[in-house]
Order: sequence, then C-alpha cells, then structure tokens
Amino acid sequence: MPRWGMVIDLDKCFACQSCTAACRMENNTPPAGPDQTERGRAILWNEVLAFVHGEYPKVEVLLVPRPCQHCDNPPCVRVCPVKATYKNEEGIVLVDYERCIGCRMCTVACPYQVRYFNWHRPEWPEALKAHLNPAPEVAPRPVGVVEKCTFCIQRLRQAREKAAAEGRVFVASDYQPACVQTCTGHARYFGDLDDPNSLVYELSHSPRAFRLLEEMGTEPKVYYLKQG
Amino acid sequence: MSGFSRRTFIKLTGLSAAAAASALGTRSLLEQRTGSTVRAAAAAAGRQETLVNTTCALCPAGCGLQVRVVDGRAVKVEGNPLHPVNQGVCCLRGQASLEALYSPERIRHPRVQTGPKGGGDWREISWDEALALVTAKLAELRQAGQAHTVAFLHGETRGSLRGLIHRFMAAYGSPNVLALEPPGEQTARLTMFLSQGINGYPVYDLNNANYAIAFGGNLLESSRHVIGYLAALAFMRRGRPRRGKFVAVHPRLSLTGVKADEWVPIRPGTEGVLALGMANVIINSNLYDADFVRDFTFGFEDFTDAQGKPHIGFKRLVLEHYNLERVEFITGVPAATIARLAGEFATNRPAVAIMPVEPDGLDLYAALAVHALNALVGSLDAKGGVLVQRFPELAPWPAYQADAIAQAGLSQPRLDADHPFGVPLTGAALADRLLAAAPYPVNALFLYNTNPVFESPAGGRMAEALLKVPFVVSFASTLDESAAHADLILPASTFLEVWGDDFVEGTGYAGVSLRRPVVEPVHDTRNPADVLLQLAARLGGPTAQALPYADYKSLVESRLAAIDMDRDRFVENGVWSEMVYFNAQPGSPAWANVVGRDRLNAPKDGRFDFFSRELFALAAAGALPLPAASGVAPADLACLPHFTAPADDASAEYPFLLVSQGLITRPRNWEGILPTLQECYGLQSNMKWKSWVEISPAAAKSLGVASGDRVWVESPAGRVQAVVRIYPGLWPNAVYLPAGLGHRTLVRWGRGSASNIVIGANVHQLQADSGVTRVRIYKS
Repeated sequence: MPRWGMVIDLDKCFACQSCTAACRMENNTPPAGPDQTERGRAILWNEVLAFVHGEYPKVEVLLVPRPCQHCDNPPCVRVCPVKATYKNEEGIVLVDYERCIGCRMCTVACPYQVRYFNWHRPEWPEALKAHLNPAPEVAPRPVGVVEKCTFCIQRLRQAREKAAAEGRVFVASDYQPACVQTCTGHARYFGDLDDPNSLVYELSHSPRAFRLLEEMGTEPKVYYLKQG
Repeated sequence: MSGFSRRTFIKLTGLSAAAAASALGTRSLLEQRTGSTVRAAAAAAGRQETLVNTTCALCPAGCGLQVRVVDGRAVKVEGNPLHPVNQGVCCLRGQASLEALYSPERIRHPRVQTGPKGGGDWREISWDEALALVTAKLAELRQAGQAHTVAFLHGETRGSLRGLIHRFMAAYGSPNVLALEPPGEQTARLTMFLSQGINGYPVYDLNNANYAIAFGGNLLESSRHVIGYLAALAFMRRGRPRRGKFVAVHPRLSLTGVKADEWVPIRPGTEGVLALGMANVIINSNLYDADFVRDFTFGFEDFTDAQGKPHIGFKRLVLEHYNLERVEFITGVPAATIARLAGEFATNRPAVAIMPVEPDGLDLYAALAVHALNALVGSLDAKGGVLVQRFPELAPWPAYQADAIAQAGLSQPRLDADHPFGVPLTGAALADRLLAAAPYPVNALFLYNTNPVFESPAGGRMAEALLKVPFVVSFASTLDESAAHADLILPASTFLEVWGDDFVEGTGYAGVSLRRPVVEPVHDTRNPADVLLQLAARLGGPTAQALPYADYKSLVESRLAAIDMDRDRFVENGVWSEMVYFNAQPGSPAWANVVGRDRLNAPKDGRFDFFSRELFALAAAGALPLPAASGVAPADLACLPHFTAPADDASAEYPFLLVSQGLITRPRNWEGILPTLQECYGLQSNMKWKSWVEISPAAAKSLGVASGDRVWVESPAGRVQAVVRIYPGLWPNAVYLPAGLGHRTLVRWGRGSASNIVIGANVHQLQADSGVTRVRIYKS
C-alpha cells in the first residue's frame, strides 16, 4: 500500500502560481469573484502564500505554495463530528461531501488553513461551465460543505484504470497530481514516501527537507526543501 | 512522465482531424494519418476522450499545449512534453486559457455599430454581410485612388500571419501595416540592432550561464520567454554540478527579486547607470575580454573617423564619467556593491547581462549600457551568453504582379515614414497622427490583437482618433476598449479553435509549432487570417492573386513544405525543431549571422558596436535628437550608452516615481477576463481583482495613509484611484501600480456586485511617453 506524499523544492519554485491555476481547472473550484475574494472566501486548494518581513532594503519575502499537507495525524479528522472527513488507507485526507454537515470545525482545527467552506452554490457564468472536468470525484460541491485538496484523487483512479486496461501493474509513477505535472520550475515531486527507492523518499530525507509547523505533531506528508 | 503517456493510446479517428477533413474534403499534409488519439479507459467508459497538441497564444512564449478534450469539450490544459519551449509544463495563463475559450464575454457574431460610434448600439450581422461591407469599402477606396489611406494596426502576430498581413496590404495598395510593439520589447529589439546589428530580440542562455544579472523588468514574471527562463533558472540551481548565481536589479521586489540569489534595489530609471558603473570597474581592473574587445567590437577605444575627426570611445566615456562615486550617487546602490557585482560578473563566466524583453522595459541608452556588458566579457553568441534566435526557412510566397493602383498606393509615404529604422510609432504618436490627419487622413483602419485605447499612454486620445477614422474594423474576441470604438467587429476565434503556425522562440535554435483546432468553434467566429484570405478573394484582382489560398491552413501547409522534417511526426508531436544551438565562433563565417547581419547604414564587419555606427549615420544626417552638452560632444554621446538626468522641475509637485513591472498573472491577450488569473493577481500585496498602489512604509507615513485607504494617484497625464498597500520591498520614493487591471468594458464577475464592473486603475493612463513618470498621491 503506497503512502502518497509530495516534496516541494523552494529553490526551484518561483511562485508563478501555475499550481494554483492547474488545481482549479482540474478540480472545478469555482471563481469567487471580487467581493467574495475580498472576504477571504476564494476557494484555491493550492494557493501560494507570501509573507513579507523586514525593512527596506533588507526585505525578505517568503513564498510558500500550500496544498493540503495530508497529515498522517490530521487534526481535521479528529474534530469532525460526523466522520465526514477521513484519511484513506493510502494516507490521503478526503471529505465525504454527502456526510459533511458544514459545521466548519475542521476549518478551524486545521493549522494550515487549507480547508474551504462553500458559502454559496458554486456558479460559472453560462458557457464557462463547459470546461469543467467531468470526473465524478470533482463534480461541483454543494453549498454548505467543506472541500480541500485531494492530491487529485480522480487521477489516482484514472491511472489505476489505465494500467488495468493495458494489462499491467500500476506503479507509483503512473500517478501525478495536476500541480506536479504543470510545475514550471519542476519543483514538485510526488510518489510513495514508504518506497525507499522513490525520489520523494530520498528528497524527504534530504538535509534540506522540512515540514510546516512540525512542532504541532500533525506529521504532514508534504515536505519542503529549503531555498539556497 | 504522466498518466497521459502517449504510448498507451489507441489511435482512432478523432475530433479535430474529422472536422478538418470535412472542411476541406480531402486529406491534407497537416492531418494525422491515423487521426487523433483516444484513451482506452475512457473509450471503454463510453466517453470520447482525446489529447490534442496545439500552441498557446496567450503570451509570446508560444508554449506547446496538450489539451484534454472530452465529448467535444476542452476540459484541461497541460504542457506538451515534446515541445522545446516548455517541455511539458504549463504556466497559470495556459492553464486558464479554457476560460478564454468559453468566456461569456466573447463576441458571438459579427456586429456593426448602428448608433453613434462608441455608443454601444450594435446589430449582429452575418459573416457574408460583414465581409460584403468590408469588401465594398475597400473596393471603393481603391477605385478612388485612396488605397494608401487604409491602415492595418496589429499587436503580436504569430507564424506566417505577419507575412500574410503585409502581403494583403501590399497587393491591395497600402504601405501602412503598423505594428504596435510593447515599448520595452521595442527597446530591446532596437538595442540589439543598434549595437549588435541584429533586428530581433535577444535570447539569454541561462541554462549554461554561471552568472546572470537582470537589469529592470521582471524576468521571471513577464519577459517574452518567461517559461524557458523559469526552467533554466531551476536548472542553473539544482541541475548541474556548479550552482550559478542570479542577480536581479530593480526598484521593486518582484517575484524575480524574491527568488533571485540577490536583489539589488535601485532608484527607478537608473539601471543603465549601474551597468556603466560595473563597466567602469571591469575596465579599470582589466577584467574584460581584451582579445574579444579588440578583434570583434567597435568604438571601445577613441577613434578618428574617415574625415579625420576624433571621437570618444566607450572606455574613456565610462572611465571619465561613470566612476563609482557618481554611480552610487545616481543609482543609490552602494559603491562596494557595484564593485562586487562587477567583479562577480567578470570572473564567473559565462556571465550574461539581461535587459528586459517585455512591455515595461528600460529606455534605449540604458538598454545599450546593459548589453555592452555582454560584449565586455565576450558573451555574444557564446555558451551561457546572448543568443540570436534562428528561424526556419519557409517556402517563398507565390509571385504576383502589383497593378498600377497598388504601385501608386505603395509609393505614398507610410504614416510613420519619418521614424528611423522602421521603428514603429508608439500608441500616443499614432493617435496624434490620426487626429491631425498627417501626412494624410486614414479612411479605414483594421485592428488586430491590439487594444491601443487601453494600452497606450493617453488612451483617451486614441479613442478620439478611432472615432475620427470613418471605418474601423476590429478583429477582437471581446468588446475591449478599442473594439468598443469600432464600426464593425469581425470576431476572432480563440487560438484553441484555429489552424496556425508559430515559430519557436526563446530556445535559440529554430522550430515550428503547430496550432490546430482543439474543439469546434464555440461561437460564430472566424480566424482573422482566414478572414483576410476571404477578403482577398472577394476583392479579386492582384489581391486575390497574391494570396491564392483557400484558407490559412493551406497557406501554412504550403509555407512549411520547405522544411525538411518528418511531417507525420510533426503533426503528431505538434512541433518540429532543431535540437541544438550552434554557437558562432567569433570571426567564423557563421559570425556574420549573429553580429552585423541586419545593419542598414553601418558596415557589416562582424564587430559589435559600443559606439553605434547606425546612430552615428543618423546623427550625421541630422535625424537624431542630441543630448545636452555634458563634457562630451553631444553627437558622440548620442551614439554611446549614457545617462541623462531627467529635468527635475516636477519633483516638488509630483514627488514620487512610478514603477511599472509586469506580473505573471497578466496574459498579453485576454487580460482582465480570465477569472482564475484575476483571483491570483497580487501575490505580495494579497490583492486580487482590484487595482492597488504599493507605497513604501516611509512614504505612507509622510502621506498619512494606511493599508486599505483609497487614494488618487495623479501624474501630469491623468489620475486613477486605487487601494493602498504598504510594501517595504520598494524604493522609498517609488510607487507601484500593477498593469493589466482597470478595464472599463470587460469583466462582469462576482456575486451581489451591483455595477458588475471591476473598477480600478489603469496604470497606462498615467505613464509619460518616455522616461520615468512622476506622480503624486492624495486621499480620496
């Protein structure tokens, strides 16, 4: 059983936000529009955050692409009163939109703030609906539920189906989330963290590797590699 | 690399090939022998799923795209792994391109203005009616001997389209094909021409450079070849044994500055002075490539011309006038930093100095100063230096006989005839000419892929000019500010619905990328290239003879026929290219192709001009504006990289310097329309959708404004409103307004917003025609 994880090399990430856009197009998150965006309600599962420190001319801007960290010890799962959010056996944290009651406990519990509440029924003006990804896993979510990055779980299913159709064994490299595929600096790596022969295993054990808010004990499966 | 590996596809007849075949009736060269590819698993699930390779047109990088099409709908864009420019990745603009294809803002049918022009009363008409209207007008003007008063104004054109436009207009009888080139790109091209003698944009070989320093602009966000540079920089850092260093010099800490190994903040508009200061150190310390400079450059040392008149060389100019103290005083960069940068640059070869090749660039003499650094260290067409983009040799156009009317029309002066070296007019200058009817009134104007009302400084004058021209035909896809002032709109299909060719750029080596329809046209729109061919056919006579093509697809086919390549593989891969760039050895026969090739009034002697002989010829003819006397003969100074301090009369009234810098979220076409890009807009300022103005903490304190306040930003040219964002990554005396926001006629988005229009500042309204714009800020 693979344990899926991601490594993001901040030395090769140029904060171009291609991951953000690729994620939206793959996963059918609706555009929020100016007013809702201003209220912090834009749904971008894979946002890039900027933290500005210092004073001119010694200014530092920390740029962090932030997907769901897919914690091995996810706080969101623990607080969900209806077991709508869960970690599947391959370590991916998911939401059952049928079960979700929209209490938003998880959005508060998540220290990474990567869980997004649907304040409105998702809408796309007229023709724009045509580009929605037809995969059933990413059908637009109903109003009142929480959604989040799934490591493009539909791609995992599609990759398995394809391997089966071709009569071969599914291997970890068949599967790649949209953000990894599109990354302009080739900064993202994805694979099975438990496979000692995998690139993500090697990189996650690199001296440059760190995880966000390690001290919280959430055991994220997204690793970052330090810049420089 | 992905779940979409090509190997695994079963080949069946797919959508695009079928659509093309039905349009033409016969199989042509560009069709795939076996049709498009269909995915096994999806076919088993009863869905028609194909991956179609095409070429992006949202910015000039021209990446290869692979579009996933399910049941006739384009649902996802990926990069084409076989394309040399992007090698499988896709930026956020390409990702969002489906929002252009299916945009609710698209114009669905040809339409004609019925009320007063610019008033917004439109009547939809058929293509037949629209083409008849244009043909009648063109035929009437031609008969009346007014063919030259028809002008074609275009922005970026891809592949053979520019040739098609020129041919159409020449056969019709007008010399007036006018390109509105973004100012920074024009400067870059001109700099290459005046110094290196190459009429083209520079390409920087970051993959092989050990040291790269970018002056101004925003290399990793808005440069012309951005996607290749992103990957190259990642490679520079992590892909090879020795890590290179990348330095960014600009007044605002952009993503380029953040991600560079070093950001050098500098006073706006003085980037060229820093380059001259570095040159001073390099020459003083004897760190330059003396052999290369001696054998392959001109004007480094003082020289005497044919008339025996002495002239100052680059060396003496730099040593006498750009010492560290003066450069520090002008640029605000500490002398120790300048000296260190110069040493690093000269001793970590291959090193390359990068000028901006993007809309917001440097002024000419600053760009010349930056490019001179490359000659000092011998980085011209060297590995890790400045490359000259090669283009494939295409089949020649068919011969035709221009008739007497066309010859008469072509003998008329161009609207921009008085501009040297075919430098295109700026938007403002063009507006003035249209308004003044000089040198003659324009009776009909075509607009393709340009929105001068929005983009040029003083766009209001451009709008007036469009109102004045009696017949304006726009090939717009959406009702942008310029199309709103047209008489007739012939709506363009998006790049995802048309056939076309696109030359590979930014790699150095030559290549052609194929653009093909990904889906059936969503609306009743056409490819402007097809429309031109249809107009030519309707006009008949020499215009039709010059363009004997059924459609643009067959034109592309006949043009590409000259390239020696595996055609089936080209069609399947969507791209063909040479795979290696052969650097020219200085002095070798190939050297003539990279230095001096395109010179007009200067010798093609394979020498790089520190002292521009092109400018010298112009100065000798009295056609060059000369700088004020400053210890160097003005006629000499006008041929050398230098800095003239702006007259600071306005500094009390307009205390701030306006910085302009492109953002990666801004597509060159379709800006302001793609909601996903709007939602990603201002990263460091966390400001989406709406315009903001970045102010330094010190300036905010002195103005008494806080983050979130609404202020007016006013320049001598106009004023715009924006929300304040305090950003410490800014030269203290500078303010920054993002470009690409503030459209008036576009973008209806958002829930509960009554006006449904995103109001914001359009930075172009403020900009001066040249130099750094000064502004003042006050609360609104």
